[in-house]
Amino acid sequence: MRRNLAPLVLSLAFAVACGKKEAPAPAAQPGGAHDKTTFVHVTIQDIDSLDPAWAYDTASHAIILNLYEPLVQYRGSSMSELEPLISEKVPSVANGLVSADGRSYSFPIRKGVKFHQGGEVTPEDVRYSLMRFMLYDRNGGPSSLLLEPVTGLASTRDEAGKLIEDVYDKVAAAVTVDGDKVVLKLSKPFAPILTVLASWAPVVSKAYGASVGAWDGSKETWKKHNNPQKTSEGFHSRPDGTGPFMLERWDSKTKEIIMTRFAGYWREPAKLKRVVVKGVDEFQTRKLMLAAGDADSIYADSLAKPLLESIDGVEVIDDLPRIDMNPTIFFVFKIDVQGNPNVGSGKLDGEGIPSDFFSDKDLRLGFAHAFDAEGFIKDVNRGKGTRASGFIPAGLPGHNPSQPNYPFDLQKAEQYFRKAHGGKAWEKGFKFTIAYNSGNQPREVIANMLKRAVESINPKFQIDTRAIQWSTFLDQSNSSKLPMFILGWAPDYPDAHNFAFPFMHSSAKYPQLQHYKNAEADALINSAMREIDPAKREKLYKRVQAIAYEDCPTIFILNAVRYRTQRKWVKGFEYNAVWPDSPYMSPFYTVWKE
Amino acid sequence: MAKFVLKRLAMLPLVLAGVTMLLFGLFQTLSPESRASLYIKDPRQLSSLEAVIREHGLRDPFHKQYLRWLRKVARGDLGYSETAKMPVTEAVRAFFPATIELSVLAFIPIMVLGVWLGTLSAVHKDKLVDQLSRFISITGYSLPSFALGLILLMVFYGVLNLFPPGRYSLESDIVVHDAAFNAFTGLILLDSLLNGEWALFVDALRHLVLPAATLTYITMALLVRVTRSSMLEELGKDYVRTARAKGLSEAAVIAHARRNAWIPVITIASILFVQLLGGVLITETVFAYPGIGRWVAQAALQLDVPAVMGVALLTSSLFVLGNLAADILYAVVDPRIRFK
Repeated sequence: MRRNLAPLVLSLAFAVACGKKEAPAPAAQPGGAHDKTTFVHVTIQDIDSLDPAWAYDTASHAIILNLYEPLVQYRGSSMSELEPLISEKVPSVANGLVSADGRSYSFPIRKGVKFHQGGEVTPEDVRYSLMRFMLYDRNGGPSSLLLEPVTGLASTRDEAGKLIEDVYDKVAAAVTVDGDKVVLKLSKPFAPILTVLASWAPVVSKAYGASVGAWDGSKETWKKHNNPQKTSEGFHSRPDGTGPFMLERWDSKTKEIIMTRFAGYWREPAKLKRVVVKGVDEFQTRKLMLAAGDADSIYADSLAKPLLESIDGVEVIDDLPRIDMNPTIFFVFKIDVQGNPNVGSGKLDGEGIPSDFFSDKDLRLGFAHAFDAEGFIKDVNRGKGTRASGFIPAGLPGHNPSQPNYPFDLQKAEQYFRKAHGGKAWEKGFKFTIAYNSGNQPREVIANMLKRAVESINPKFQIDTRAIQWSTFLDQSNSSKLPMFILGWAPDYPDAHNFAFPFMHSSAKYPQLQHYKNAEADALINSAMREIDPAKREKLYKRVQAIAYEDCPTIFILNAVRYRTQRKWVKGFEYNAVWPDSPYMSPFYTVWKE
Repeated sequence: MAKFVLKRLAMLPLVLAGVTMLLFGLFQTLSPESRASLYIKDPRQLSSLEAVIREHGLRDPFHKQYLRWLRKVARGDLGYSETAKMPVTEAVRAFFPATIELSVLAFIPIMVLGVWLGTLSAVHKDKLVDQLSRFISITGYSLPSFALGLILLMVFYGVLNLFPPGRYSLESDIVVHDAAFNAFTGLILLDSLLNGEWALFVDALRHLVLPAATLTYITMALLVRVTRSSMLEELGKDYVRTARAKGLSEAAVIAHARRNAWIPVITIASILFVQLLGGVLITETVFAYPGIGRWVAQAALQLDVPAVMGVALLTSSLFVLGNLAADILYAVVDPRIRFK
């Protein structure tokens, strides 16, 4: 019998030997999570691209703003006060760097700022960076943020997708070098322009760009680099910024990105030597990593908060006000049904949906009334936040608390469904997939709430829900392959225009991929952008929100507050509601571990 | 023996041809438009879908398409995985070594403990040991792997901080990506030894303990039961009674019976091993272990057909090879099979 126990004893001995405390103590190892100079953030998202002209998602943008630097940045938690970065001063009328008509901004470029790959920033690099950001203009990308106020055009291409010939000349004339300064001329005064530049169009190296297959800065070649494929230029995965951190490695296999302190940084070097952002889909594993100190902060949604509050050495910073619109439910008016498994048969025959399924307003309203937003806020969001009454969140001028929204009413939903597609939708039924990004529990709950409610109205209605990895989710939504999807909008800059435009203007990200257009909304948004009188602007945005309610291209759910979970030893975290992926991510320059 | 192996190996291309034909046939049930999406790397190409279908002959007869696909597979071109953001062959090379390590490390205790418990159970039929073994088998068989994985993780990582998730720690990550470290095989345990990195070896082993333990517990149940029934059958045979009557020691009798009981055990073991190699998606997801299972689970959710096809092809090939190994082992264990 004693001999028979040998395998068990050996196995136990093996396990104990491998796990015994005498194994190298993590705390003593440099570069590990327990090292006070290494910060580990564990999240659910992976990176889409590190190219500042491509990336338009919060996960990528948050990394980019640690690798690259824009001309100016927000001061601490303020959403209105700015401080200089690559520009030596924040332009203002008072310091003479903004013209009296509010159209010309001069940026004196700081000397001695080094790129990670070598070389110093010159005004020409800054000009190149601003121009490249505008002329790159990939479908659904961020270029319009600058292109629109600078040239008055929302895109470098017309509605047929053809390049507008004089765009280059317009951009080149608007961005000029004047000695040590870069001068930016706007087509019309646009008050939020400096806040746009506080997050976007960071400075990249012109020489490096040309060496890694990006645009070389010449008029002859820009067209080849307009709306390129994601990975066609080296900036996608090989960044060269001036930020406090430089890229050590981006491993898409393990969903891990590692940044190291840039020794040649023009300010004091960052306190952290290394920042690791890694993807772990399973919440329990993320939680245990936080508890063990192997993670310094984690992504956790509202449902998880009670599970995190009691962990020793962990703090939960709650009630952080957001000015984002997240989550939201998008309808795609013209779905790409070819080779698309999300639409079943691709016909309105009870086994699928046709391309124009959601172009029917009654159908959209049916879905809108089938979603219990109040229940979501109460049960899923722990009662935190308030019901959204439009796309402009509470806290921003233009927010209209008296704007009506769609009450949860299944009878009303049924009335709309019966009318949809001339009664054919009700008679035949339908089948399609609602998608959300994997690991995001609130969005998963929304998808399932909708599924249950809609399927309960008519047994012929069938909805599948599907989690998709973040970067693939973006690819599929950008190509109009998802009939209905759940996503959110975090502001590019804190202004009503940055909500009205992306949600409602036909040239912007979401309406483009939804194939939604309302001419009146476009005209109102264009007018509001040029309007200087705040009261008149507010009135225009109220009307756009009324149109959003009437047309229902998107369901807005929540004015949110969020919380952040981190180890107590983490210090220096600065919360700014405008920061991408905030409060989970932040500028790591100010962070250290005690 | 060599003739036996050669005959079996000669069957291999035929079996693989059958498997690939079946896989390809399944793939052909999708519409040409759906299959065309495999070749589309950019949403803008969707407007020229018909051109893509023509270019790749997606409306050609089955046999033409199959031969063309087979030629591509033979060249190692399995398409591009959107989930892994790399070609499927590259993704397999990237993810498979981690799964091999986990599978081998789990398979050793599965075999040792499974056969030992099964034998013990048979020898002490209906005794306490047998009841305990049955209890272990039933719980192992019925406990969901994610539940067991999370429990083990909570206890051995959350409370005792002994065995962390992932493949290795951040400290080791620096070593692995150092220019001086040679990734000879992609197997961290082996590479760490070949590079003389003992701390890395221990660290990687610590990360493997919990996923390996989870797999061991849930997988060995079947082996225990098969070994037990096979042993019971052998122990009831005449030659065992004769051996005992002639005064042979009980240990020697059990050793004789066990050798004869090996055939079904080998069959089950080869299937289990190939199943492990094919990816253990839930275990890999719970332990954030970057193996092929986690990748293919994400790929399946995202309808990443090239990835699913690639992994299916890999597992089918492994299954064929596993069966071959089992056939060879039969002959080793039972010489009569060679003569048949």
